[in-house]
Formats: sequence, C-alpha cells, structure tokens
Amino acid sequence: MAELTSNPVGKNTPRVDAYEKVTGTAIFTDDLPFGPGLYYGRLVRSPHAHALIKSIDISKALEVPGVKAVVTGQDFDTRIGLYLVDRPVFAKDRVRYVGDPVAGVVATSEDIAEEAAKLVEVEYEELPAVFDPVEAAQPDAPLLHPDLGEYKVANFIFPEPGTNISEHFRLRKGDVEAAWPRCAAIVEDTFRLPHIQHVPLEPHVAVALWEPSNQVTLWTSSQSPFAQRDLIAQSMGIPHGNLRVISPYVGGGFGGKAGVSMEVYAVAMARAVKGHPVKLRMTREEEFIGTTVRQALVAHTKIGCDAEGNLLAMETEYYFSGGAYNDYGVNIVRAAGYSCTGPYYIPNVKGDSYCVYTNMPIGSAMRGFGMPEIHWGIEQIMDQLAEKIGMDPAEFRRRNCVKTGDIILTGMKMPAIDLVACIDKVTKAINWGKKEPPSAPHKKRGKGIAIMWKAPAMPPNPGSSAIVRFNEDATVNVEIGAQELGQGAFTVVAQMAAEVLGVPYEWVRVSAPVDTKYSPYEWQTVASRITWSTGNAVKAAAEDARQQILALVAKHWNEDPANLDIKDGIVISYKSEREQPLKDMVIYGLPNENFEGWKGGPIVGHGKFMPTYVTNLDFETGQGPRAVVHYTVGAQAVDLEVDTETGQVEILKIASAYDVGKAINPDLVLAQIEGGAVHGMSSAFEALKFDERGRPLNPNLVDYRIATAADAPREIHGDIVETPLEDGPWGARGVGEHVMVQTAPAIANAIYNAIGVRFNDLPLSAEKIFMALQ
Amino acid sequence: MGIHSITVTVNGAKERLDVPSNMTLLQMLRDKLGLTGTKNGCSAGECGACTVLVDGEPVNSCLMLAVEADGRQVTTVEGLAHDGQLSALQEAIIEHNAVQCGFCTPGMLISAHALLERAPRPTEQQIREALVGNLCRCTGYLRIIEAVQTAAKKGGA
Amino acid sequence: MLARPALPSFDYVRANNPDEVVRLLQEHGAAAKLLMGGTDLFVRMRDGVIRPQIVVDVKHLPGMRAIEYDEGAGLTVGAAVTMNQLARHPQVQTHYPLLAEAANSVASYQVRNRATLGGNLCNASPAADTAPAVLVLEGRLVLHNPQGEREVAARDFFTGPGQTAMRENEFLKAVRLPPPPEGSAGKYLKLGRNKVGDLSIVGVAVFAFPDGTKPSGYVFRIGLASVAPVPLRAWEAEEVLATHSPGEETFALAAEKAMEAATPIDDVRASAAYRKVMVRALTRRGLERVWEALE
Repeated sequence: MAELTSNPVGKNTPRVDAYEKVTGTAIFTDDLPFGPGLYYGRLVRSPHAHALIKSIDISKALEVPGVKAVVTGQDFDTRIGLYLVDRPVFAKDRVRYVGDPVAGVVATSEDIAEEAAKLVEVEYEELPAVFDPVEAAQPDAPLLHPDLGEYKVANFIFPEPGTNISEHFRLRKGDVEAAWPRCAAIVEDTFRLPHIQHVPLEPHVAVALWEPSNQVTLWTSSQSPFAQRDLIAQSMGIPHGNLRVISPYVGGGFGGKAGVSMEVYAVAMARAVKGHPVKLRMTREEEFIGTTVRQALVAHTKIGCDAEGNLLAMETEYYFSGGAYNDYGVNIVRAAGYSCTGPYYIPNVKGDSYCVYTNMPIGSAMRGFGMPEIHWGIEQIMDQLAEKIGMDPAEFRRRNCVKTGDIILTGMKMPAIDLVACIDKVTKAINWGKKEPPSAPHKKRGKGIAIMWKAPAMPPNPGSSAIVRFNEDATVNVEIGAQELGQGAFTVVAQMAAEVLGVPYEWVRVSAPVDTKYSPYEWQTVASRITWSTGNAVKAAAEDARQQILALVAKHWNEDPANLDIKDGIVISYKSEREQPLKDMVIYGLPNENFEGWKGGPIVGHGKFMPTYVTNLDFETGQGPRAVVHYTVGAQAVDLEVDTETGQVEILKIASAYDVGKAINPDLVLAQIEGGAVHGMSSAFEALKFDERGRPLNPNLVDYRIATAADAPREIHGDIVETPLEDGPWGARGVGEHVMVQTAPAIANAIYNAIGVRFNDLPLSAEKIFMALQ
Repeated sequence: MGIHSITVTVNGAKERLDVPSNMTLLQMLRDKLGLTGTKNGCSAGECGACTVLVDGEPVNSCLMLAVEADGRQVTTVEGLAHDGQLSALQEAIIEHNAVQCGFCTPGMLISAHALLERAPRPTEQQIREALVGNLCRCTGYLRIIEAVQTAAKKGGA
Repeated sequence: MLARPALPSFDYVRANNPDEVVRLLQEHGAAAKLLMGGTDLFVRMRDGVIRPQIVVDVKHLPGMRAIEYDEGAGLTVGAAVTMNQLARHPQVQTHYPLLAEAANSVASYQVRNRATLGGNLCNASPAADTAPAVLVLEGRLVLHNPQGEREVAARDFFTGPGQTAMRENEFLKAVRLPPPPEGSAGKYLKLGRNKVGDLSIVGVAVFAFPDGTKPSGYVFRIGLASVAPVPLRAWEAEEVLATHSPGEETFALAAEKAMEAATPIDDVRASAAYRKVMVRALTRRGLERVWEALE
C-alpha cells in the first residue's frame, strides 16, 4: 500500500497526471478516435500580405472525389474576437497577412483536402502592406481595417478608427517635464523585439461536429474551453447551451492556445457537413504563421534618476506590432501600458502604449503577456543608469524596486510582495560582484541581473468555479474548468481539496477532460491565475463540503461543529474523542437513533471566486484605485561566457527567485522556474523572419531553432519567496509566466558585463555579437 | 498507389498489416494500431516526439515508411512498462517532476531508454547529446537529464 | 508555400538487385527517386520540392549497408550505411576518426540512425557535414550504371547545390577511402545556431600527416561546408601549409586563404560576411587542434 499524504499543501506531492504521461496513455486531442465518419479540413491561405479578394472559384476543388464541402468568407457574415471583434471567420473581401485563411476544404482524408485546397482559385488585387508598427501607426500608412469604428469592443479598450491603432493606453502620473532637469543621469534609447512563436510541442488541433439537431461539439487542445464556447457561440450564432467544448490534455500552450485561433475554422467547416466530425490540425509550419505569434515591439524609452540613484522620471512609447487581427492583442498592449514602468517606483511617468495593426501573423497572448517585451528595454536602461551614477546594478534595483504599500504608477496601492528578498537570493546564488575567470583565453565571462513584475491581465471580472464531490469510499472528485497545460494545475487543486477536506492527497481525483457541458465555469487558463483564482474556488468548494460534513456529524453526535475536525478521512471530535469515517457517510448519510430515518445525503460542495474590486482606469491618465488584482515579482541573475572568436554565448547558470506568496507544491514551482529560465533563454535567440513582402522565411523547426538539451544552462538555481497574498489560497499567487519575463535582459546585461557591448534589438545571435565585437 | 502487406512486431506482438506506400511508421502506429502514445510534433524529424525503437534503435517514425518496418521489431512508449510496472526511467521521470505537458515525454523516454541500453552509465554530456533530437518546451531539460542519471544509478533503462 | 501535412502518394519499390534500380531509373527518369534513409527525401517530398511517382528503396541491395576495411585497399562504405553505423564502427574510429566525427555531427541521434553517408553526399547540400571529411580523405564515389561501375573522385562529384556528377541512370553504391597515411590526424569543426544538432552555418574539416617531400614536412588538407555552392577544398590554404613551416603565423595565413576560398551567400541562417570570417576562425582552430595531435 502506497504511503498516504495528509495535509498536502506545501508538500511536494507527485503530479496527478504523471503516470498517464510516462506511459503514453494520456489522451491529447489528436489521439481521440472518431471512427470512419471523420472528415478532415485544410485551409486555403493567402499568399499576399495585404490584398483585396476579387473572386474565389471553388468549382475545381469541389469536383475532386472525396471532397465534401468548400467554405469561404461568403458563407459567414460574422467576425470573432475576445476584446475587439475584428477577425472574420474567413477573410471576406480582404486578406491581411500571408497565411490569412480564405477558404476551408472538407474531405474524407487530409490528403484529399490538401490536394483540393490547391485547386481553389483566388484572384487578388495586391495592396500596399505595412510591417513595422511605428510606420503602421502613421496617418498615411496603408489601412488594414477601414471598418475599425464598427467593431464591437470591450469598454476598457480604445481603438482609433481611421488609423491602424487598435488600442492606445495612456499613463500620466506626476510631471515628467519638471523632473528631467532634476535628473543626474538620463538614458534614452529604442529597443526592438521581433515576432516569436510559442512552439508548443503539440500543434493546434480541433475537431468539430455539427449535428443535424444543431448541437455542436468541439474537441480542442485549448487553454480556454469556456472562452472558446463563448466566442464561437456568439460568432456562429449557436446558443451557448448547444455548443459543447471538450478539451483533453494540452501539449503545451504558453498562451498560444488561449482564446480562439484556428478552432473556429473547424466549426465553420463542420457546419457544411452536418453529422460528420471534421478534424483540422495545424502542421508545424502552419503553427508558426497560422495560429498566433508574440507581438513584436518597438519601444522608445527614456528614464532618469538623481545622483543618489533614485528614479525620478520615465517617458515611454510602446509600439506593438499586433499583426493582422488584434482581438486578443489589444489587452496585451493595455497591460504593457498600465505596467509600463516595470517593477519600479517612479514618481513621474508618461507612458503611451499602442497596439498597431500590421500585415503580420496574428499577435496574441504569449507567456508573459507584454512583460517580456517591455522588460527587455527597461532592464537594460536600469543597468545603464546604475553605471552612470556609479552604483551596483543590484543595489540600484533594491533601492528603486516596488515595495509593499507603494502607490504605483496607476495610483493603486501595491499588495504585499518582497522583491528585495528575490534580489538578495539571486545575487547570493550567482556570487554577485565576484569576477570569475572564463574557461578559455578567447572567452569572456560576465554576470547580469534583471527583475520583473507582472499582474494577471484580464477583464475585471473573470470567474472561476469548482465542484467537490465524494465517491462511496470517500475518495473525492474535484471538478474544475481550468486546464492542465503541464504547469501542474490538476495537482495543485487536488492538494488544496485534500487539505481542506482532511483526506489524504491520494484520495483526490481531478475530473478530466475539461468539458463545458459538465465542468464548472472557468474564464481561461491564462494569466498565471489558476493557482490563485481556481484555487480559491476549489478551496471554497471543499470548505462547503467540509461544512456539510461537520454539520451533519455534529448533529448526529449532538455536538458543537466547532469541536469537530477531519483527519485522514475520519471525522473526529476533540471533545468526545468520537470518530466517524467519511466513507460511511459522504454518500449514504447517517442513520438516526434506532434507524428511525436518515439524515444527510451525497456530499457535493460548490465554490466560486471572482475578483470584485478591480476598477476601470481613467482614459486620459490611466489612473484608478485598483488597476489589477495583484502582481507577482521576481529576480533573475545570469552567469555566462561569450566566445569572442565566434560570438557564441554559453549560459553557465541562471539563478531565479520569485515571490509566489505560498508554494502549494514547492517542487512544481521550481519546475516552472527552471523551465521558464530555459524558455526565456531560448526566446532571446528566437525570431520569426520575413521577406520584404511579408512572407515567412523560417516557419519550421529547421530554421526556427529553440533550445535543446545541449543548450540548456549547466545549472539553474531556483529560490522561492513567500509573502502571502491577501486573497490567495493559503496566500498563493501565480508564477507560470513570470519565470521567463526578464531572462532576455538579464542575458543582455551579462553580455554587456562580459564584452562591454549593448544590444538593443532581439534576437541575440552569435553573428550579431561577433560583428559587434569587430 | 501500392499497398503492401507487412508483418511487424510491435511491443512484442506480431501484427499483419496492409499499408499504402506513403504511410509513415508514425501513421501506422497511431492510425492503424491505435498506439497514440507516439506523438506527431513536426512530421519532419526535427522535434523527436515521434521517436520509437526499431530493432532497438531510436528513429523518427515520421521519417520512416510503414512498409520499411516489414519484418522488424518496433517498441513504442506503450511498450516500456511491463505488467503495469514502470521502467526505472519512467519512475525517475515522475520522481524528478521531469514531465509537464507530456507531449515530448514518450519520445524523450524512448531516446533516453536507448541511450541507457547502449551506455548504461552515461555522462551528463552524453545524455544532453543523446536528447538533442527531442525538443521540450516546458521543462528546460535539466530535470530530464537528472532523471536519466537517476535511472542509470538504479540499474538502467 | 507551406509543407503538406503528410507525404504525397507514390509507389514504393524495394529493389533487390542493382540492375533493377538502373532499369527503374531509365524507365521513370526524374519521376523515380532512390530511398536510403529518407531523412532528406521525405522532408523534401513533404515540402513539395519534389514529387516522385516511384520511390526505390536501395538500401537492401548487396553491400549497401556494409563497411569493409582492408589495410591495403582502405575503407569501403556502402552508400546506405547510416551515420551511427559509421560513427561507432571500430575500424572507422581507429583509422578514420575524422569521418566518424563528421558523421556524428549530423542532426540528432535518431536521425543519424536513418541518415546515410550516401544520402548525405548525393543530396549535395553545400552544408553536408560528411562532405568535407570525404573531400580531405580523398574519397572516391562508386557509381553503378548500365555499363557496370565507374568511380568519381569526391572533389569532382559536387557540381552545384543539389547537383552532382552522377548521371540520370546512375546511383551511388559505395564510398571508397584510401588507407590513412601514417601519422595522420583530423578534426571537424562545425558552427551552428545550437550547440549541437543544427545544420552547419560553417563546417571545416582539417586533415594532416607528415610528408617528407613537402617543404613544410607536412600535408594539410582543408575541406569546407556551407560556404560555397558546393562543399570544397581550400587549395590555396593547403599550398601555404605545404610550403610554410607549421605554426601560428602559417595557420593564420592559411586560415586567411581558406576564408578567401569561401564564396558563401546570405541566408536565413547567417550572412555571407559572418560565414567568411567564421571559415577563418574555424580553420585556424582546426589547424591548431590537428597540429597538437600531430606533434
């Protein structure tokens, strides 16, 4: 008999999904069987970055034996989108990026669909295209969305119709102009980041079945089953109750499987072949341009401090390349606006954050949600300021970083965090300040530090809910709508439920797959919000069940419930020392004396959580009492070597420390810290490249390289800081995205420390570094 | 297009299958035999999620035709545990929390298994190089490397 | 524009004798492609670069997967010998460590279980990792044709990107390498975007052995990959090394000459300018390493 774990919160319980995943029995969407009636879809994509569609001729494709339907934008008079409803289901009159879907072909095999897709004839009239966000924001730039003013939009997003600006967030605090003359040091520079891609190992896949009864089921690899239901239902005119989204394990998301990307095409194609499931899966090549990418950024930033190293003022303009459709991206840009200072207290701030339409793939959520982009420049400027005034960069950050109770840039009071402790931990772990020798004469060694903050970027009222129910033997099923992406969500909620219910961890099961028909509502598995938000809902549901149990047993024993507790699955009384095993009562209840009737019944606990305190911000100044729910903060330090003969960088060590409030499962927190460090490191060397006409040059793993086992640093050191979050379960807040936010600038700062050269533009590449050394 | 009648042993069981010329070993395993533990991440031999053993050696099953497997022994992730008993490597992966999303895990296990078969006490560098063809976006690799070391200490794959 | 989801349709034929292969090549011309490891063939078929109607599996032909070593005749490697087979073969490791090193530098372990020496050479990618080694080891390629066999020196084999001296009705049966000269040493250095496993941005093979007939007392050979339309020898650099006594200065000069021999292009992996200077850096490094081994 395996050992049982009591009170698992804070312990390194094993992952609930590990056995399935090491035996190949964990089911992912593409693994589901659908029988011989399954059809396959393929998309016809635009070869042009910007063009008008003059005509589409589908007749030849329809003649191919095995082809069941061809759908185009003419079949759908609708758009889809999360915050800004700007994306047609298929391009109708205009294509806006190379890869924009113009038609979908359904056939009995993927191969036939592919062959037939090549026979769809589309006549285009090419339009001038624009790829750079600063150029695209100019008044005379080619306009991507002439109808921007007519799109439905969330009440906290502010597009500028008649331009390519889909969101402009303004932050005004203090008086920057008055502050500049008081600065002893000012650094002003421009920083650029290219589009990069999430590269989850599992490509996107969706299977849709539109039954003749108009019941619709969508099986999908998704971080957002409920948001997909909501958005697709609205867009396709399906009553929410008729659309069921089932989402098995997700083979990596990183934001790329948040919201709706290609899934709506599967539903649209299924409508044309009612009664047959239609499978649409992205090839790896399509994954790069046909799903979503991280937004590119051009940041003009100016920051100043006084001679003692106190930050006085910051002025910044962020131009995000949102790509062709910004339905999700607008909120990334808003988040970059209200967090535009990075994790620093700066009394005078002028920030403008623009989301700009460009003829690039769709920019959308990616791990960090705007923060890796803005920290790239901020964290390099902080090092430069420290150097200018002769202060150690770590000390400079200790002095200026946000602290508990600070009134931060939006006017919000900073909830409790300890960023200084994070800085202390990483500087200790990396032997900060100690110059260490390189491994060879042609190599140079350097260390760098960077810190970060990030808030969950969401609408003000995203909800979570949970159900906890018992089985006959007192094992427990936890039902949530949050998704297991690998981050460990299922494990953490099982720990929480067991902790509250007083049952061993091993008794808890998490109901999967997420199924909108049976799972309780969850907004989305994004924003590092699950441990906190879903965690609160699970805790509430377990407390509800616990109260029902204690009330029942108290009544049975004629005792005060306050004297009762549940330990290892047994209700105990501290007063009478009586015991009642849960397994004898959680389904059948308890008999009255002499079996004169029964009381109780199946125990089902319900819980929900929704933040109720977030306020909208002033349109002109970005000021408001509560911009966000909270921030998670952290620090990273990097030790590396640069080969001066080739420009190659070897990362020797990354030290990370994050304030997670409370580590529900410390080893899973460390697993996030390690994985994020390598993801962050890899991202510093990644870029999607395009030719002058916007055609992708490296949409494949041959030429879009990500870090391998040989590239991973020799050592990653992780530290956990625990400053409890007021409304977090056991004080916990999320950390899934934060772990990669500042890695790239920490590397850049270390490279500067090694070779004395700064790089304002990502990606770093051996070539770029070598050339800079000449 | 030609259809070929082949005999192939998969995870110890002999199978007789009719496969079209252009069917890959990966498609055969997933679509014909329902062995969906082997994953398709790129169809181009770059990601390693489809790695299986053919006659004991790891290959990208997306780059091998099913017909080429005629007469050969194939082992997939489903064949690593025996009678519900996990291999030392599978146990080590769990112990080190070296799995996150789990999509690379089957291929990673196969590559690591083959490494331990040919080099029972591999160095860290050998492990890193043996796993270069298995991309992972979640874990950062270090825990996987440690898990392979742990399995090696416990006596192999 | 983008790769298709899976392989297009074709007919697979397993060839049992060389004449059958020649017959199929004559019958189908460019519509027939030969299959050994498939690691390049299937990728290009999926990418839509080629669409053969017939794929002829030649790896089961006699001798195609054999490695034979003879002190007098040298090494004969069947065209379908895999990279891993080559890299771990004891006599290859002993007598041709440079070839083993080059084979081991290709892609990943599981790809090397399928990728073949013959395929790597016949695809004639400028970036072929085994090509510089075969060039500096003065290999000869054994081609089977309707008339029988002919041999082509590796230096004459590559004629352009993807182009070789092989005629339409010929196929590669084996690669022959002469016995290694007494006291030889070699090194293959490769620069990629990842530490290991990437395609070469630059690949440099250096091979050397003592030779009393040369003014310097040594023969050095340098092979380059990924820096010209074809893998090539750096002849002028080799001349410098034959005529100047080995040492830092000579190596620097030779590295300069190797750089001049390179005529790379800008592509998504690196610029021509960077490739050129990396040829210099890697050649110098290679020369130093080989010189250390010779001394």
